Amino acid sequence: MAKLSLMFEQRLVKEVPVGSRPVSIGRSPDNDLPVDNLAVSNYHARVYFEAGRLVVEDLDSLNGTFVNDMRVERATLHDGDSIWIGKHHIKVDATHDTALPMDYGRKANAPRINETMVLDTKVRRDMLQQAAAMGERTQFAAGRLKVPTIIVLSGKTDQKEYALTNKLTVIGRSSLATVRLKGWFKPVMAAQINQRDDGYYVVAGDKIPTVNGSPINGPVRLNDGDLIEISGVRLNFIFRE
Amino acid sequence: MRIRSGGVSDVGRVRTNNEDCYRIVPDMGLFVLSDGMGGEAHGEVASALAVETVVKHCLEGENNPALPVFGETQAGWSPRTKRLSSSVHLANKRIFDSAAQHPEQSGMGATLTAIWLVENSLSIAHVGDSRAYILRAGSLQQLTSDHSLVAEQVRRGILTTAQAEESEMQSVLLRALGANPDVEVDAEEQPLFPRDILLLCSDGLTRMVMEPEIAGALQSEPDPGTAAARLVALANERGGADNVTVIIVSAGTESRGWFSWLRRAERKSTNGHGHTGGK
Repeated sequence: MAKLSLMFEQRLVKEVPVGSRPVSIGRSPDNDLPVDNLAVSNYHARVYFEAGRLVVEDLDSLNGTFVNDMRVERATLHDGDSIWIGKHHIKVDATHDTALPMDYGRKANAPRINETMVLDTKVRRDMLQQAAAMGERTQFAAGRLKVPTIIVLSGKTDQKEYALTNKLTVIGRSSLATVRLKGWFKPVMAAQINQRDDGYYVVAGDKIPTVNGSPINGPVRLNDGDLIEISGVRLNFIFRE
Repeated sequence: MRIRSGGVSDVGRVRTNNEDCYRIVPDMGLFVLSDGMGGEAHGEVASALAVETVVKHCLEGENNPALPVFGETQAGWSPRTKRLSSSVHLANKRIFDSAAQHPEQSGMGATLTAIWLVENSLSIAHVGDSRAYILRAGSLQQLTSDHSLVAEQVRRGILTTAQAEESEMQSVLLRALGANPDVEVDAEEQPLFPRDILLLCSDGLTRMVMEPEIAGALQSEPDPGTAAARLVALANERGGADNVTVIIVSAGTESRGWFSWLRRAERKSTNGHGHTGGK
């Protein structure tokens, strides 16, 4: 279970665990982590789990949310990170969420494995079952069965809807593109949607797409319902049941 | 499409023998990389056997389409994808049989990552934790899924990518050639776009060099052999903890003539905005 510790200078103010519900941070006393300081907005930021990652999101606060030294709107958190809000900071402890129990009788020599080894079928099955059980506990297994889909909201394309079955999807005028844009002056490869281990990412092509209105700056992981705009075409990314 | 390629393999700075093996067959557009494992020198035996079997089976299949296809195939695959997948199943069997016949080779195994390029069609077959990447429009994307425990945990939402990179369990594989009488092979096809650059590498590269650095080297160095050498040198500068092998394959531009010349001019002007799309 991940843990957030609100600190003022070196003093611990309050500690809360992060569970399935987001942890709210702000000046208003009904926040999970109330921060009593005028520099802090009433509802300043929140921290929650998303697809196994701990994420902090700034709620349009006046003075901003910083992770380590960087001002962020949204950022993935790692163990040991500090979230700075005004003069307070919140220490992130994510050490305990992820350790997969490894008690299959090899503990003595388990610590560091430099030589590559292959798990035999039985050990592999046991470990994956443990992993699957953990996945269900953390509520991510269910999401895996949904089909990522692109729905065309406006603009000329060869289909109205695309199920993303391929790892690489190209959006553009090219005859090889999955989502084919119609019109002579459309870019050959406008943008891409690529599957990675932890989700689907929209990536620039010869043009830079926007996601929910903001131009992307590097690959951006897509969430259910995101709106992508590229070369005069509006696309809705959803996970279809 | 004009294809240029180059490859480099190096023992690294720590190990005494190189268990990686690769082969480039330019006439066929076939590129094969394997990372062996096993005590004594048996990792080398396994990876060499894997690469040799894949190349030979694909070549024989070109000359004789009636050659048997091993392992499961999907109906939608092209004959080349089926052949490539078949060759990996066969390589698995060769390594497994060899280890069964020679007790001293017991436990040897290998990863295998192969791509086969014909015109604008790319076939990929893969087992283990070597990787294939594609650099497309300035963005680097991994084409293969690592068959390692930590990667599986990321796919199941148990670990984050950052945690996986720091895990002590990185060397634990779920699949490799030679471990069992048969193996599940990942195979797929992708269209190849003009200017795509492909990279195959053993984990000796990806443990030492970060993806943005790989993307940078591919974008700044047009010659595939030189780019591969530069990445291998970088892995060694960082400590070269493992053998490191890199193959780079670069697809040319689509067509010549003054229409493509016009498009190049347009591209030059858009490059002025400094957009490369990378991380």
